[in-house]
Amino acid sequence: MDFETIAALQERHPTWRLLRAQNAPLILSFLGGHFVEQNNGATPAGRLADALEDQLSLLRTGDDESRFAKTAEDYLYDWSQPESGWLRRFYPADSDEVHYDATPALERAYSWVSGLRQRAFVGTESRLHTVVDLLRQIAYGTEQDPQARLEVLQQQRDEIDRQIAAAEAGEVDLLSDTAIRDRYQQFAGTARELLSDFREVEENFRGLDRAARERIASWTGSKGALLAELVSSRADISSSDQGASFQAFYDFLLSDDRQDELNELLTTVQRLAAVDADRRLRTIHHDWSEAAERTQQTVRQISEQLRRFLDDQVWLENRRVLDLVRQIEGAALQVRDGPPTLGLEVDLPGVPINLPFERPLYDARPAASVDSLAAPADEVEVDTSALFTQAFVDQARLADNIRATVPERGSVLLSDLVELYPVERGIAEIVGYLALNEDDLAVELDESGESLIDFHDHLGAGKRVRLPRATVSRR
Amino acid sequence: MRTATEQAVSTATIDLMRGVVYRETDEDSWLTLQRHGAAVRDHFAAIGVDVIIDDTEGYAFLRSESVDDEAEQLPRLVKRRSLTFNVSLLLVLLRKRLVEFETSGHEGKLVLSRDQLVEILRVFLGDSTNEARVIEKIDTTIKQVAELGFIRQLRGQPNHWEVRRILKAYVDAATMADFAGKLSEYADSLNSGGGDD
Repeated sequence: MDFETIAALQERHPTWRLLRAQNAPLILSFLGGHFVEQNNGATPAGRLADALEDQLSLLRTGDDESRFAKTAEDYLYDWSQPESGWLRRFYPADSDEVHYDATPALERAYSWVSGLRQRAFVGTESRLHTVVDLLRQIAYGTEQDPQARLEVLQQQRDEIDRQIAAAEAGEVDLLSDTAIRDRYQQFAGTARELLSDFREVEENFRGLDRAARERIASWTGSKGALLAELVSSRADISSSDQGASFQAFYDFLLSDDRQDELNELLTTVQRLAAVDADRRLRTIHHDWSEAAERTQQTVRQISEQLRRFLDDQVWLENRRVLDLVRQIEGAALQVRDGPPTLGLEVDLPGVPINLPFERPLYDARPAASVDSLAAPADEVEVDTSALFTQAFVDQARLADNIRATVPERGSVLLSDLVELYPVERGIAEIVGYLALNEDDLAVELDESGESLIDFHDHLGAGKRVRLPRATVSRR
Repeated sequence: MRTATEQAVSTATIDLMRGVVYRETDEDSWLTLQRHGAAVRDHFAAIGVDVIIDDTEGYAFLRSESVDDEAEQLPRLVKRRSLTFNVSLLLVLLRKRLVEFETSGHEGKLVLSRDQLVEILRVFLGDSTNEARVIEKIDTTIKQVAELGFIRQLRGQPNHWEVRRILKAYVDAATMADFAGKLSEYADSLNSGGGDD
């Protein structure tokens, strides 16, 4: 890479920009934790913002409260802007809430930063084996001469025979602890990388899709030529290298036998004493399946839309629409200062039915007259008891008052009683006495006499109640 | 008593008569249309109405059946309406945004904020010193387009509007061509009229 390329990357590449960002620790720890470590897919904005808010409030408790002053929503929005490019912000078809997903740029930055931590040791042996193995696969996989192929297979058989003989003689080659750790480390690394690759695979698919759409939209030749061009340029998703490799991986992973084998192998390996087992790796194959499934779904969706986009009618319609829009825009600008009254003619959705008999007949209502000048009300007798019961009067207290004063089988005038226990809650309390419903107490009203009760209401004004003579008695 | 199927078919039929049926929001009716589409279609065919079911876009709606022979044409049942100039213009511009959205390969739904809608339309409204009045006019237009069902306010996000794909079915190239023709004619007459004075 020459100087200019690197300079441009430093300036423009989202990964590099992320590493230079002032908030990089926050972004990497939060987004990396959520999307990479926990392997989450697209997440509704609300949920992600809540999680971020939690983390922010933890960080803010430090000495400097002004740190991280923005709200979680603002941060997420900023990180999804084109000049950042660390989150993808979109509205999925089946949701009204905006969703966020990590971009490959974020994955890369995160994996680079995690790579900075010193590893306990760097295993090289296993990688050499892998490299040689890969070479073998390439070389034998392209060997066309059957004779040469046979020789290779025989060589392999000899090697296996030798191992069988050794095992029969009781000699077993064991991997040393170091060799185990070396291999485990490589396994862990590759397994994680595989997981993070999916997001990039998805992103690349999206890129292919975009390129294909642009090409379709701007195509001027015949449709056949367009298809030929699309296939030959391998822009079509399933025919791309990426698509073929991903499909092969997916098929491989999804076979039951593979799943069982992986499961058994993982269980065995994780139990080895020499391995400092990472618990998350125990179920890594499920994570693979999940991530692959997500990618697969995206790909299916993209392909479907692309096919639809390629559809003759849609294609022609879209070109016509764009032409017409241009024409209309031009004319509309011309008539800007004297807009016409004409407009589109569209069908109205639906076929509403108006059934005349569904409507009620005309209902003559007396006209409501409003008179804002209310005449002074005449004095009328009203039943005010409903109002009085609204104030809470503790009847138990009233009953206790009676029991404390009146001896058994004795009686007393209510007006005398309230002299001992002044009325606190106004007229409601007096009514409360009259309404007492206790087995051992009775209140009697005698119309022939009259009681007067004086009390002060809550404003302190003196009040007097006149009522038939009331006698309270205990049985 | 209706059987469960009859009940479902009738419900779907009524839903269609009320307006557009969406896969996303009218799940039951949508499934019925998938399963018993033929029955519903037959029902409407008798009165000269086509049922359009678009699987890819996820909506279904009614349309007057197209008959070549004019003598065979039934009286028109689906109502047509002339829209105001501003509403028409906004629909055309949204139609363009939909094409652009699809061309750029975005997935999911096209969502525009009120400010974006205002921005889209403002250029085409005469310069006025009364900025507030222009904005008010645009707000009214947005409301009318929403009443027609072509944009939908997102739940919980008062200033964000989803541009519904059904717009593509109703404001198609033929409809737009008609509008474009009339508008150009008007523009020409305005220009030549202005020249005579």
